[in-house]
Amino acid sequence: MVVPVDSTDTDTDTVTNTNADPNANTNRATDTELHRRLVYGDGSALAEAYTAYGTLVRRVALRVTRSPAAAEDVAQEVFAHLWTRPYAFDTGRGTLRTWLSMLAHRRAVDWVRGEARHRKDARADDTALHTIADAAPGPDETVVARERSLLLHTALAGLPERQREVVHLAYFAGRTYRQAAAELGIPEGTAKTRLRTALRTLAETLADPPDAPGETGA
Amino acid sequence: MTPEHDALRDLLAAWAFDAVTPTEAAAVSHHLGDCPECEAEAERLRDVVRLLDDPSAEPAEPEPSDDDPLTALFAGPRPGRRRPRPAAAPVAAHAAPYAGAVAALGALLPEVYGRWGYDRWSVPVVHDWDVHATLAHLIAADEQLALALGVAARVPASPASAAAEGAAGAGWEEAWNRRTADVILHERRRSPERTRASWEAQSAALLATPEARDPERAARAVELMGLRLPVTDHFAVRAFETWIHTDDIGRALGIAVPPPPAAHLERLVRLAVRILGTALGPAAAPVRFSVTGVGEWLLGSDADPVRAELALDPVDFCLLAGGRYAPGEVPCVGTGDAGTVREVLERTAALAWL
Repeated sequence: MVVPVDSTDTDTDTVTNTNADPNANTNRATDTELHRRLVYGDGSALAEAYTAYGTLVRRVALRVTRSPAAAEDVAQEVFAHLWTRPYAFDTGRGTLRTWLSMLAHRRAVDWVRGEARHRKDARADDTALHTIADAAPGPDETVVARERSLLLHTALAGLPERQREVVHLAYFAGRTYRQAAAELGIPEGTAKTRLRTALRTLAETLADPPDAPGETGA
Repeated sequence: MTPEHDALRDLLAAWAFDAVTPTEAAAVSHHLGDCPECEAEAERLRDVVRLLDDPSAEPAEPEPSDDDPLTALFAGPRPGRRRPRPAAAPVAAHAAPYAGAVAALGALLPEVYGRWGYDRWSVPVVHDWDVHATLAHLIAADEQLALALGVAARVPASPASAAAEGAAGAGWEEAWNRRTADVILHERRRSPERTRASWEAQSAALLATPEARDPERAARAVELMGLRLPVTDHFAVRAFETWIHTDDIGRALGIAVPPPPAAHLERLVRLAVRILGTALGPAAAPVRFSVTGVGEWLLGSDADPVRAELALDPVDFCLLAGGRYAPGEVPCVGTGDAGTVREVLERTAALAWL
């Protein structure tokens, strides 16, 4: 027979936590729960993810694309991806915040590179050089700055994931390296070192650019 | 080189990203005035961040648009986009775990094609089934409940099965084994895409029955595969099996499938405990049985003092009942009489739902 027992004194076990940082645990737990609901088709989980991370995703996309319309499209694509391919995110490998941020960044870089290619094609049979620039075409320096920025963002998208996630938290999400370390559950020194390795790699890219920046790092 | 120099030099990248505390920022600024080496490095790193920012065209923060961007994700496919993923079917609480498990498996199947560019439908999953056959097996298993609820079978009966059906005295197990073999054989001759469409259509039909939406209509008891249970519980059994096989397919593909949300899991656990209690019977040695976060029960005789205590995690308990753990391997905390504990674990594993 089955008799339910009053469960007031069931929780006598002492839970020992091996992870030093309570914030990291809370983030992981929230991510895990949200991801579970996404996998099991709970639409309200997608709405919650959008509320929590929509602004970050748009900000990342906007920084790279410089186009609110394009940023909107990228954000749509990122959340559509989270919803239709929920298994692409693995709670064991990182936080949802950094995963979405990195996905938005990669998609935004792809968008800009697509634009650049498109412009190049247009330039081939167009003598008016400056019609290729943005909606608000600027002087030559602006075009050069845009190209160098794209070069850097392409290099950033190609950094190892462990470095990229710290950069995303520090640069796009406005965290200090200490906060980033706490969020990722890594030592502060490690976060600092990863930022340094990442930024030095980017600096080297700039000093010694690859021949065809638009075609690398796919 | 001083220790202070080393510490501040290590901080320069974080500083360049504005990812340091004000105190640290002040210390860096102070040091840069004294140290040309660090100043040069700081300059170089700051330049990179400045270029990432591209201050030549700083647009305003985006404003969230008025129209809900999420609605597009559930419905209307945009031209040239992959097909949308519907949310889990809106059903009553008793069928929600099944709707959820169907959504979880539905989202997993694109991954069978999706990764690494080759077809993985023939990857071995469990028993002697590959992904394709596992899905065919689920069609056969769901069909039992579908037929009871008036949803027509999708796979015609083979002549051999039809003949056996007519013969008297055949047990449900024999009929079930023949039927699942028939369906797997039938589906193997079709493309995985068509099998997937059949599975989706049948599970959608099940979730569209009045019994999925109305607990009162689902209160009647039906015997399926040797288990006489209310239709509400049969929905939980379907959820259980769909989840376990989704997990099987995930393992075969190297994809972690999270367990059902807590509310769903709780329903599955409560049903399994009830069936376990029945299987043990009223004369078994009494056990205080608990499933973390779900509840605590007294199983077995209520006349004798408790012989043992046994606690399991809800997912582990389900995996044991689903035959995915051996009784000796499942993580658990058992105290008291070891034989009694083993008996409960073995009974759970022997529920052999799948």
